[in-house]
Amino acid sequence: MHYDIALAWESLPTLLQGTLTTFIVLLPVLVLGLLISIPVALARLERGPGSLLAAAYIIFFRGVPSIVLLYLIYSGLPQFSVIRNTALWTLFSNAYFCAWVGLTLTHSGYMGEIVRGGLAAVPPGTIEAAQALGLGRMQILFKLRLPMAARYALRAYQNELLIMVKSTSAVSAITLVDLTAAANTVFDYTYDPFTPLVTAAGIYWVIINAMRYAFNVADSRLNRHLALK
Amino acid sequence: MPATQATAAPPTEKPDMQMAVSVRGLNKHYGAFHALKDIDLDVANGEIVIICGPSGSGKSSLIRCINHLEQHNSGTIHVNGLELTGKPARVMEVRRSLGMVFQNFNLFPHMTVLANCTFALRQALRMPQAEAEEVAREHLQQVNVLDQAAKYPGELSGGQQQRVAIARALCLKPRIMLFDEPTSALDPESVGSVLRIMEKLAATGITMICVTHEIGFARRVAHRCVFMERGEIVENAPTAQFFSNPDSPRLKAFLDQVL
Repeated sequence: MHYDIALAWESLPTLLQGTLTTFIVLLPVLVLGLLISIPVALARLERGPGSLLAAAYIIFFRGVPSIVLLYLIYSGLPQFSVIRNTALWTLFSNAYFCAWVGLTLTHSGYMGEIVRGGLAAVPPGTIEAAQALGLGRMQILFKLRLPMAARYALRAYQNELLIMVKSTSAVSAITLVDLTAAANTVFDYTYDPFTPLVTAAGIYWVIINAMRYAFNVADSRLNRHLALK
Repeated sequence: MPATQATAAPPTEKPDMQMAVSVRGLNKHYGAFHALKDIDLDVANGEIVIICGPSGSGKSSLIRCINHLEQHNSGTIHVNGLELTGKPARVMEVRRSLGMVFQNFNLFPHMTVLANCTFALRQALRMPQAEAEEVAREHLQQVNVLDQAAKYPGELSGGQQQRVAIARALCLKPRIMLFDEPTSALDPESVGSVLRIMEKLAATGITMICVTHEIGFARRVAHRCVFMERGEIVENAPTAQFFSNPDSPRLKAFLDQVL
Protein backbone atom coordinates (compact mmCIF):
# COMPACT_ATOMS: atom_id res chain seq x y z
CA MET A 1 0.00 0.00 0.00
CA HIS A 2 1.48 3.27 -0.99
CA TYR A 3 0.11 6.64 -1.88
CA ASP A 4 0.10 7.19 -5.63
CA ILE A 5 0.51 10.96 -5.99
CA ALA A 6 0.08 10.89 -9.76
CA LEU A 7 -3.21 9.09 -9.43
CA ALA A 8 -4.30 11.42 -6.64
CA TRP A 9 -3.69 14.42 -8.87
CA GLU A 10 -5.41 12.80 -11.84
CA SER A 11 -8.46 11.82 -9.86
CA LEU A 12 -8.77 15.17 -8.09
CA PRO A 13 -11.38 16.60 -10.49
CA THR A 14 -13.57 13.56 -9.88
CA LEU A 15 -13.17 13.90 -6.15
CA LEU A 16 -13.88 17.62 -6.25
CA GLN A 17 -17.00 16.95 -8.29
CA GLY A 18 -18.03 14.58 -5.52
CA THR A 19 -17.26 17.29 -2.96
CA LEU A 20 -19.60 19.64 -4.78
CA THR A 21 -22.37 17.05 -4.52
CA THR A 22 -21.61 16.71 -0.82
CA PHE A 23 -22.16 20.44 -0.37
CA ILE A 24 -25.29 20.47 -2.52
CA VAL A 25 -26.71 17.85 -0.19
CA LEU A 26 -25.33 19.39 3.01
CA LEU A 27 -26.24 23.08 2.85
CA PRO A 28 -30.05 22.88 2.46
CA VAL A 29 -30.05 20.19 5.17
CA LEU A 30 -28.28 22.54 7.59
CA VAL A 31 -30.64 25.44 6.90
CA LEU A 32 -33.86 23.41 7.01
CA GLY A 33 -32.67 21.33 9.96
CA LEU A 34 -32.01 24.46 12.01
CA LEU A 35 -35.32 26.07 11.04
CA ILE A 36 -37.30 22.94 11.96
CA SER A 37 -35.41 22.40 15.21
CA ILE A 38 -36.47 25.74 16.70
CA PRO A 39 -40.22 25.02 16.94
CA VAL A 40 -39.40 21.44 17.94
CA ALA A 41 -37.20 22.71 20.78
CA LEU A 42 -39.77 25.29 21.85
CA ALA A 43 -42.44 22.59 21.91
CA ARG A 44 -40.19 20.43 24.08
CA LEU A 45 -39.88 23.23 26.61
CA GLU A 46 -43.63 23.49 27.02
CA ARG A 47 -45.88 20.93 28.64
CA GLY A 48 -48.66 18.96 27.02
CA PRO A 49 -49.27 17.15 23.73
CA GLY A 50 -46.96 19.38 21.68
CA SER A 51 -44.09 18.49 23.96
CA LEU A 52 -44.79 14.76 23.63
CA LEU A 53 -45.00 15.05 19.86
CA ALA A 54 -41.68 16.88 19.74
CA ALA A 55 -40.13 14.30 22.05
CA ALA A 56 -41.36 11.49 19.79
CA TYR A 57 -39.95 13.29 16.75
CA ILE A 58 -36.55 13.67 18.40
CA ILE A 59 -36.46 10.10 19.73
CA PHE A 60 -37.45 8.60 16.38
CA PHE A 61 -35.12 10.54 14.12
CA ARG A 62 -32.16 10.23 16.44
CA GLY A 63 -32.78 6.49 16.72
CA VAL A 64 -33.05 5.63 13.04
CA PRO A 65 -29.71 5.48 11.23
CA SER A 66 -29.64 8.04 8.44
CA ILE A 67 -28.73 5.46 5.80
CA VAL A 68 -31.75 3.34 6.74
CA LEU A 69 -33.96 6.41 6.56
CA LEU A 70 -32.58 7.25 3.12
CA TYR A 71 -33.31 3.73 1.86
CA LEU A 72 -36.83 3.91 3.30
CA ILE A 73 -37.53 7.21 1.57
CA TYR A 74 -35.84 6.47 -1.74
CA SER A 75 -36.74 2.79 -2.21
CA GLY A 76 -39.53 2.27 0.28
CA LEU A 77 -41.89 5.19 -0.36
CA PRO A 78 -42.38 4.40 -4.09
CA GLN A 79 -44.23 1.25 -3.00
CA PHE A 80 -47.12 3.47 -1.93
CA SER A 81 -49.38 4.50 -4.81
CA VAL A 82 -49.99 7.89 -3.24
CA ILE A 83 -46.32 8.60 -3.91
CA ARG A 84 -45.97 6.77 -7.20
CA ASN A 85 -49.07 7.98 -9.00
CA THR A 86 -49.33 11.62 -7.98
CA ALA A 87 -47.38 14.85 -8.33
CA LEU A 88 -45.33 13.74 -5.34
CA TRP A 89 -43.50 11.36 -7.66
CA THR A 90 -41.65 14.22 -9.35
CA LEU A 91 -40.19 15.00 -5.94
CA PHE A 92 -39.60 11.57 -4.47
CA SER A 93 -38.14 10.03 -7.61
CA ASN A 94 -35.34 12.57 -7.36
CA ALA A 95 -32.44 11.26 -5.30
CA TYR A 96 -31.43 14.75 -4.20
CA PHE A 97 -34.90 15.43 -2.82
CA CYS A 98 -34.85 12.14 -0.91
CA ALA A 99 -31.40 12.96 0.44
CA TRP A 100 -32.52 16.40 1.59
CA VAL A 101 -35.64 15.02 3.27
CA GLY A 102 -33.88 12.10 4.95
CA LEU A 103 -30.85 13.99 6.23
CA THR A 104 -32.95 16.99 7.32
CA LEU A 105 -35.13 14.70 9.44
CA THR A 106 -32.06 13.17 11.07
CA HIS A 107 -30.27 16.48 11.55
CA SER A 108 -33.33 18.24 12.95
CA GLY A 109 -33.77 15.42 15.47
CA TYR A 110 -30.33 16.07 16.92
CA MET A 111 -30.67 19.83 16.54
CA GLY A 112 -33.96 19.77 18.46
CA GLU A 113 -32.10 18.61 21.54
CA ILE A 114 -29.20 21.01 20.98
CA VAL A 115 -31.46 24.04 20.61
CA ARG A 116 -33.55 22.90 23.59
CA GLY A 117 -30.42 22.66 25.70
CA GLY A 118 -29.34 26.12 24.62
CA LEU A 119 -32.75 27.63 25.39
CA ALA A 120 -32.94 25.88 28.76
CA ALA A 121 -29.56 27.34 29.70
CA VAL A 122 -30.82 30.93 29.40
CA PRO A 123 -31.08 32.22 32.99
CA PRO A 124 -34.80 32.71 33.74
CA GLY A 125 -33.97 35.93 35.57
CA THR A 126 -32.82 37.57 32.35
CA ILE A 127 -36.11 36.64 30.71
CA GLU A 128 -37.99 38.17 33.67
CA ALA A 129 -35.90 41.32 33.35
CA ALA A 130 -36.87 41.59 29.68
CA GLN A 131 -40.53 41.03 30.58
CA ALA A 132 -40.32 43.71 33.28
CA LEU A 133 -38.80 46.08 30.71
CA GLY A 134 -41.94 45.67 28.61
CA LEU A 135 -40.79 43.37 25.81
CA GLY A 136 -43.32 41.04 24.21
CA ARG A 137 -43.01 37.24 23.94
CA MET A 138 -41.83 37.19 20.33
CA GLN A 139 -39.32 39.98 20.96
CA ILE A 140 -37.96 38.14 23.96
CA LEU A 141 -37.69 34.92 21.93
CA PHE A 142 -35.90 36.37 18.90
CA LYS A 143 -33.91 39.18 20.49
CA LEU A 144 -32.89 37.60 23.77
CA ARG A 145 -33.54 33.87 24.19
CA LEU A 146 -32.36 32.63 20.80
CA PRO A 147 -29.23 34.85 20.74
CA MET A 148 -28.31 33.65 24.23
CA ALA A 149 -29.19 30.04 23.39
CA ALA A 150 -26.93 30.23 20.34
CA ARG A 151 -24.01 31.22 22.55
CA TYR A 152 -24.61 28.38 25.00
CA ALA A 153 -25.18 25.81 22.24
CA LEU A 154 -22.41 26.91 19.90
CA ARG A 155 -19.93 24.12 20.63
CA ALA A 156 -22.63 21.46 20.68
CA TYR A 157 -23.77 22.78 17.30
CA GLN A 158 -20.23 22.63 16.02
CA ASN A 159 -20.06 18.97 17.07
CA GLU A 160 -23.26 18.13 15.24
CA LEU A 161 -22.14 20.00 12.12
CA LEU A 162 -18.81 18.21 11.91
CA ILE A 163 -20.57 14.85 12.25
CA MET A 164 -23.18 15.85 9.67
CA VAL A 165 -20.52 16.64 7.07
CA LYS A 166 -19.34 13.07 7.28
CA SER A 167 -22.88 11.63 7.55
CA THR A 168 -23.57 12.93 4.06
CA SER A 169 -21.60 9.97 2.75
CA ALA A 170 -24.72 7.89 3.37
CA VAL A 171 -26.25 9.39 0.22
CA SER A 172 -23.95 7.20 -1.86
CA ALA A 173 -26.44 4.45 -1.02
CA ILE A 174 -29.17 6.21 -2.98
CA THR A 175 -27.24 6.83 -6.22
CA LEU A 176 -25.77 10.24 -5.42
CA VAL A 177 -22.07 10.53 -6.16
CA ASP A 178 -20.73 12.41 -3.17
CA LEU A 179 -17.07 12.59 -2.17
CA THR A 180 -17.01 9.08 -0.71
CA ALA A 181 -18.79 7.61 -3.71
CA ALA A 182 -16.44 9.45 -6.05
CA ALA A 183 -13.45 7.97 -4.24
CA ASN A 184 -15.03 4.55 -4.56
CA THR A 185 -15.54 4.94 -8.31
CA VAL A 186 -11.84 5.78 -8.66
CA PHE A 187 -11.13 2.62 -6.70
CA ASP A 188 -13.45 0.66 -9.01
CA TYR A 189 -11.55 1.86 -12.10
CA THR A 190 -7.98 1.67 -10.77
CA TYR A 191 -8.11 -1.14 -8.18
CA ASP A 192 -6.24 1.18 -5.83
CA PRO A 193 -8.37 1.70 -2.72
CA PHE A 194 -5.76 3.46 -0.69
CA THR A 195 -4.97 6.55 -2.74
CA PRO A 196 -8.47 7.82 -3.56
CA LEU A 197 -9.90 7.08 -0.12
CA VAL A 198 -7.00 8.72 1.68
CA THR A 199 -7.32 11.71 -0.65
CA ALA A 200 -11.04 11.86 0.06
CA ALA A 201 -10.28 11.67 3.76
CA GLY A 202 -7.86 14.55 3.27
CA ILE A 203 -10.54 16.64 1.59
CA TYR A 204 -13.02 15.92 4.41
CA TRP A 205 -10.26 16.89 6.85
CA VAL A 206 -9.77 20.25 5.13
CA ILE A 207 -13.52 20.94 5.19
CA ILE A 208 -13.78 19.99 8.87
CA ASN A 209 -10.86 22.18 9.84
CA ALA A 210 -12.20 25.14 7.89
CA MET A 211 -15.42 24.74 9.88
CA ARG A 212 -13.51 24.46 13.13
CA TYR A 213 -11.69 27.69 12.34
CA ALA A 214 -14.97 29.44 11.52
CA PHE A 215 -16.49 28.27 14.81
CA ASN A 216 -13.48 29.46 16.78
CA VAL A 217 -13.90 32.90 15.22
CA ALA A 218 -17.63 32.86 15.97
CA ASP A 219 -17.01 31.75 19.54
CA SER A 220 -14.43 34.43 20.23
CA ARG A 221 -16.83 37.08 18.96
CA LEU A 222 -20.12 35.84 20.42
CA ASN A 223 -18.65 34.80 23.75
CA ARG A 224 -16.38 37.78 24.19
CA HIS A 225 -18.10 38.47 27.50
CA LEU A 226 -16.70 35.24 28.93
CA ALA A 227 -13.11 35.78 27.92
CA LEU A 228 -12.50 38.89 29.97
CA LYS A 229 -11.85 39.63 33.67
CA MET B 1 -44.12 65.98 42.92
CA PRO B 2 -43.47 66.86 46.56
CA ALA B 3 -43.26 63.86 48.82
CA THR B 4 -46.12 63.63 51.28
CA GLN B 5 -46.65 61.79 54.53
CA ALA B 6 -49.44 59.36 53.69
CA THR B 7 -51.60 57.57 56.21
CA ALA B 8 -52.43 53.90 56.02
CA ALA B 9 -55.16 53.21 53.46
CA PRO B 10 -58.57 52.73 55.05
CA PRO B 11 -60.25 49.59 53.71
CA THR B 12 -62.63 50.58 50.92
CA GLU B 13 -64.82 48.66 48.54
CA LYS B 14 -63.71 50.44 45.39
CA PRO B 15 -60.00 50.87 44.57
CA ASP B 16 -58.96 54.53 44.41
CA MET B 17 -58.08 55.44 40.84
CA GLN B 18 -55.70 58.21 41.92
CA MET B 19 -53.40 55.72 43.53
CA ALA B 20 -50.20 54.62 41.82
CA VAL B 21 -50.80 51.03 42.89
CA SER B 22 -53.98 49.71 44.42
CA VAL B 23 -54.27 46.10 45.57
CA ARG B 24 -57.55 44.64 46.86
CA GLY B 25 -58.19 41.20 48.24
CA LEU B 26 -55.14 39.71 46.53
CA ASN B 27 -54.64 35.97 46.84
CA LYS B 28 -51.82 33.92 45.39
CA HIS B 29 -51.31 30.18 45.63
CA TYR B 30 -48.30 28.19 44.57
CA GLY B 31 -49.99 24.82 44.21
CA ALA B 32 -51.32 24.08 47.69
CA PHE B 33 -49.25 26.78 49.38
CA HIS B 34 -51.21 29.97 50.09
CA ALA B 35 -48.53 32.62 49.62
CA LEU B 36 -50.65 35.80 49.69
CA LYS B 37 -53.82 36.03 51.80
CA ASP B 38 -56.34 38.79 51.05
CA ILE B 39 -53.76 41.53 50.61
CA ASP B 40 -55.01 45.14 50.59
CA LEU B 41 -52.46 47.82 49.81
CA ASP B 42 -52.52 51.35 48.42
CA VAL B 43 -49.46 53.23 47.26
CA ALA B 44 -50.00 56.89 46.39
CA ASN B 45 -48.15 58.77 43.64
CA GLY B 46 -44.75 59.85 44.86
CA GLU B 47 -44.95 57.64 47.92
CA ILE B 48 -42.04 55.48 49.03
CA VAL B 49 -43.17 52.25 50.62
CA ILE B 50 -40.86 49.69 52.20
CA ILE B 51 -42.08 46.14 52.63
CA CYS B 52 -40.23 44.09 55.20
CA GLY B 53 -40.71 40.84 57.03
CA PRO B 54 -39.28 37.38 57.55
CA SER B 55 -38.40 35.03 54.68
CA GLY B 56 -41.35 33.37 53.04
CA SER B 57 -43.75 36.08 54.12
CA GLY B 58 -44.81 36.79 50.53
CA LYS B 59 -43.02 40.13 50.08
CA SER B 60 -41.42 39.16 46.76
CA SER B 61 -44.58 37.42 45.59
CA LEU B 62 -46.52 40.62 46.18
CA ILE B 63 -44.35 42.91 44.11
CA ARG B 64 -43.93 40.24 41.43
CA CYS B 65 -47.72 40.13 41.18
CA ILE B 66 -47.81 43.89 40.67
CA ASN B 67 -45.93 43.63 37.38
CA HIS B 68 -47.43 40.26 36.53
CA LEU B 69 -44.26 38.22 36.77
CA GLU B 70 -46.54 36.11 38.94
CA GLN B 71 -50.21 35.66 38.11
CA HIS B 72 -52.52 36.29 41.05
CA ASN B 73 -55.38 33.86 41.69
CA SER B 74 -58.01 36.29 42.98
CA GLY B 75 -58.40 39.92 43.90
CA THR B 76 -57.57 42.99 41.88
CA ILE B 77 -54.46 45.01 41.15
CA HIS B 78 -54.72 48.50 39.70
CA VAL B 79 -51.64 50.34 38.45
CA ASN B 80 -52.24 54.01 37.61
CA GLY B 81 -55.93 53.25 37.36
CA LEU B 82 -55.48 50.34 34.93
CA GLU B 83 -56.65 46.97 36.17
CA LEU B 84 -54.10 44.21 35.79
CA THR B 85 -56.11 41.51 34.06
CA GLY B 86 -54.27 38.55 32.54
CA LYS B 87 -54.58 39.89 28.99
CA PRO B 88 -51.17 40.31 27.32
CA ALA B 89 -51.92 43.77 25.92
CA ARG B 90 -52.96 45.06 29.34
CA VAL B 91 -49.98 43.43 31.02
CA MET B 92 -47.61 45.15 28.57
CA GLU B 93 -49.35 48.47 29.10
CA VAL B 94 -49.05 48.16 32.88
CA ARG B 95 -45.41 47.09 32.67
CA ARG B 96 -44.55 50.25 30.75
CA SER B 97 -45.17 52.35 33.83
CA LEU B 98 -43.28 49.97 36.12
CA GLY B 99 -39.55 49.47 36.47
CA MET B 100 -38.11 46.54 38.37
CA VAL B 101 -34.78 45.88 40.01
CA PHE B 102 -34.00 42.31 41.01
CA GLN B 103 -31.94 40.82 43.82
CA ASN B 104 -29.67 39.06 41.33
CA PHE B 105 -29.43 42.08 38.98
CA ASN B 106 -30.47 40.00 35.93
CA LEU B 107 -28.30 41.94 33.51
CA PHE B 108 -27.93 40.49 30.02
CA PRO B 109 -24.48 38.88 30.26
CA HIS B 110 -23.66 38.87 26.56
CA MET B 111 -24.29 42.61 26.12
CA THR B 112 -22.19 45.55 27.22
CA VAL B 113 -23.44 47.81 29.99
CA LEU B 114 -24.53 50.36 27.39
CA ALA B 115 -26.30 47.72 25.29
CA ASN B 116 -28.08 46.46 28.40
CA CYS B 117 -29.61 49.91 28.79
CA THR B 118 -30.39 50.52 25.12
CA PHE B 119 -31.87 47.05 24.55
CA ALA B 120 -35.37 47.80 25.81
CA LEU B 121 -35.34 51.30 24.32
CA ARG B 122 -34.63 49.82 20.90
CA GLN B 123 -36.93 46.79 21.14
CA ALA B 124 -39.88 47.95 23.22
CA LEU B 125 -39.89 51.66 22.29
CA ARG B 126 -38.36 51.34 18.82
CA MET B 127 -35.99 54.20 19.57
CA PRO B 128 -33.19 54.78 17.03
CA GLN B 129 -29.74 53.66 18.17
CA ALA B 130 -28.19 57.13 18.60
CA GLU B 131 -31.08 58.46 20.68
CA ALA B 132 -31.17 55.29 22.78
CA GLU B 133 -27.45 55.58 23.52
CA GLU B 134 -27.89 59.18 24.62
CA VAL B 135 -30.67 58.26 27.04
CA ALA B 136 -28.63 55.31 28.30
CA ARG B 137 -25.51 57.38 28.90
CA GLU B 138 -27.53 59.98 30.79
CA HIS B 139 -28.90 57.39 33.19
CA LEU B 140 -25.59 55.56 33.55
CA GLN B 141 -24.07 58.90 34.50
CA GLN B 142 -26.73 59.42 37.15
CA VAL B 143 -25.82 56.13 38.83
CA ASN B 144 -22.09 56.78 38.46
CA VAL B 145 -21.19 53.91 36.14
CA LEU B 146 -20.83 55.74 32.83
CA ASP B 147 -17.12 54.93 32.74
CA GLN B 148 -18.05 51.21 32.61
CA ALA B 149 -20.32 51.61 29.58
CA ALA B 150 -18.20 49.49 27.23
CA LYS B 151 -17.63 46.68 29.70
CA TYR B 152 -19.57 43.47 30.11
CA PRO B 153 -21.53 42.75 33.32
CA GLY B 154 -19.12 39.95 34.22
CA GLU B 155 -16.34 42.51 34.55
CA LEU B 156 -18.22 44.63 37.07
CA SER B 157 -18.58 44.32 40.82
CA GLY B 158 -21.96 43.48 42.31
CA GLY B 159 -22.64 47.05 43.35
CA GLN B 160 -21.81 48.33 39.89
CA GLN B 161 -24.00 45.69 38.28
CA GLN B 162 -26.95 46.60 40.45
CA ARG B 163 -26.52 50.27 39.64
CA VAL B 164 -26.51 49.37 35.94
CA ALA B 165 -29.72 47.42 36.57
CA ILE B 166 -31.26 50.50 38.17
CA ALA B 167 -30.16 52.67 35.24
CA ARG B 168 -31.53 50.10 32.79
CA ALA B 169 -34.95 50.27 34.44
CA LEU B 170 -34.89 54.06 34.67
CA CYS B 171 -34.14 54.46 30.95
CA LEU B 172 -37.75 53.48 30.25
CA LYS B 173 -38.86 56.39 32.47
CA PRO B 174 -41.24 54.37 34.65
CA ARG B 175 -43.60 56.12 37.04
CA ILE B 176 -43.23 53.42 39.67
CA MET B 177 -40.07 51.56 40.62
CA LEU B 178 -40.21 48.11 42.20
CA PHE B 179 -37.20 46.81 44.11
CA ASP B 180 -36.98 43.15 45.12
CA GLU B 181 -34.28 42.98 47.82
CA PRO B 182 -31.86 45.03 45.71
CA THR B 183 -28.96 44.85 48.15
CA SER B 184 -29.38 41.36 49.58
CA ALA B 185 -26.82 39.84 47.22
CA LEU B 186 -24.19 42.54 47.79
CA ASP B 187 -21.23 42.84 50.10
CA PRO B 188 -21.57 45.54 52.78
CA GLU B 189 -19.47 48.14 50.95
CA SER B 190 -21.47 47.84 47.73
CA VAL B 191 -24.73 48.02 49.68
CA GLY B 192 -23.91 51.62 50.55
CA SER B 193 -23.26 52.68 46.96
CA VAL B 194 -26.56 51.22 45.79
CA LEU B 195 -28.58 52.66 48.67
CA ARG B 196 -27.12 56.09 47.98
CA ILE B 197 -28.40 55.89 44.40
CA MET B 198 -31.81 54.74 45.65
CA GLU B 199 -31.97 57.67 48.09
CA LYS B 200 -31.05 60.03 45.25
CA LEU B 201 -33.84 58.47 43.23
CA ALA B 202 -36.31 58.77 46.10
CA ALA B 203 -35.67 62.49 46.28
CA THR B 204 -36.91 62.93 42.70
CA GLY B 205 -40.48 62.14 43.75
CA ILE B 206 -40.83 58.86 41.90
CA THR B 207 -43.09 56.22 43.44
CA MET B 208 -41.05 53.39 44.96
CA ILE B 209 -42.08 50.05 46.42
CA CYS B 210 -39.09 48.37 47.93
CA VAL B 211 -38.74 44.96 49.55
CA THR B 212 -35.65 45.21 51.71
CA HIS B 213 -34.00 44.26 54.96
CA GLU B 214 -32.14 47.58 55.14
CA ILE B 215 -33.94 49.09 58.11
CA GLY B 216 -31.71 52.16 58.27
CA PHE B 217 -32.54 52.95 54.67
CA ALA B 218 -36.23 52.47 55.42
CA ARG B 219 -36.12 54.92 58.32
CA ARG B 220 -34.30 57.56 56.27
CA VAL B 221 -36.28 57.38 53.08
CA ALA B 222 -39.65 55.66 53.39
CA HIS B 223 -42.95 57.43 53.86
CA ARG B 224 -44.62 54.23 54.92
CA CYS B 225 -43.54 50.78 56.00
CA VAL B 226 -45.42 47.56 55.61
CA PHE B 227 -44.70 44.46 57.67
CA MET B 228 -45.67 41.10 56.19
CA GLU B 229 -45.65 37.70 57.77
CA ARG B 230 -46.91 34.37 56.42
CA GLY B 231 -48.71 35.93 53.46
CA GLU B 232 -50.52 38.66 55.37
CA ILE B 233 -49.94 42.37 55.92
CA VAL B 234 -49.59 42.58 59.68
CA GLU B 235 -48.95 46.30 59.91
CA ASN B 236 -49.00 49.20 57.48
CA ALA B 237 -48.02 52.55 59.03
CA PRO B 238 -46.12 55.80 58.46
CA THR B 239 -42.41 55.28 59.06
CA ALA B 240 -42.10 57.16 62.32
CA GLN B 241 -44.99 55.34 63.91
CA PHE B 242 -43.87 52.00 62.44
CA PHE B 243 -40.54 52.09 64.22
CA SER B 244 -41.22 54.05 67.39
CA ASN B 245 -44.70 52.82 68.22
CA PRO B 246 -45.45 49.51 66.50
CA ASP B 247 -48.99 48.29 67.02
CA SER B 248 -48.78 44.55 66.63
CA PRO B 249 -46.75 42.28 68.90
CA ARG B 250 -45.39 40.38 65.89
CA LEU B 251 -43.91 43.57 64.46
CA LYS B 252 -42.50 44.45 67.87
CA ALA B 253 -40.81 41.06 68.00
CA PHE B 254 -39.45 41.45 64.45
CA LEU B 255 -38.04 44.92 65.16
CA ASP B 256 -36.49 43.70 68.39
CA GLN B 257 -34.65 41.09 66.37
CA VAL B 258 -33.36 43.34 63.61
CA LEU B 259 -32.63 46.53 65.53
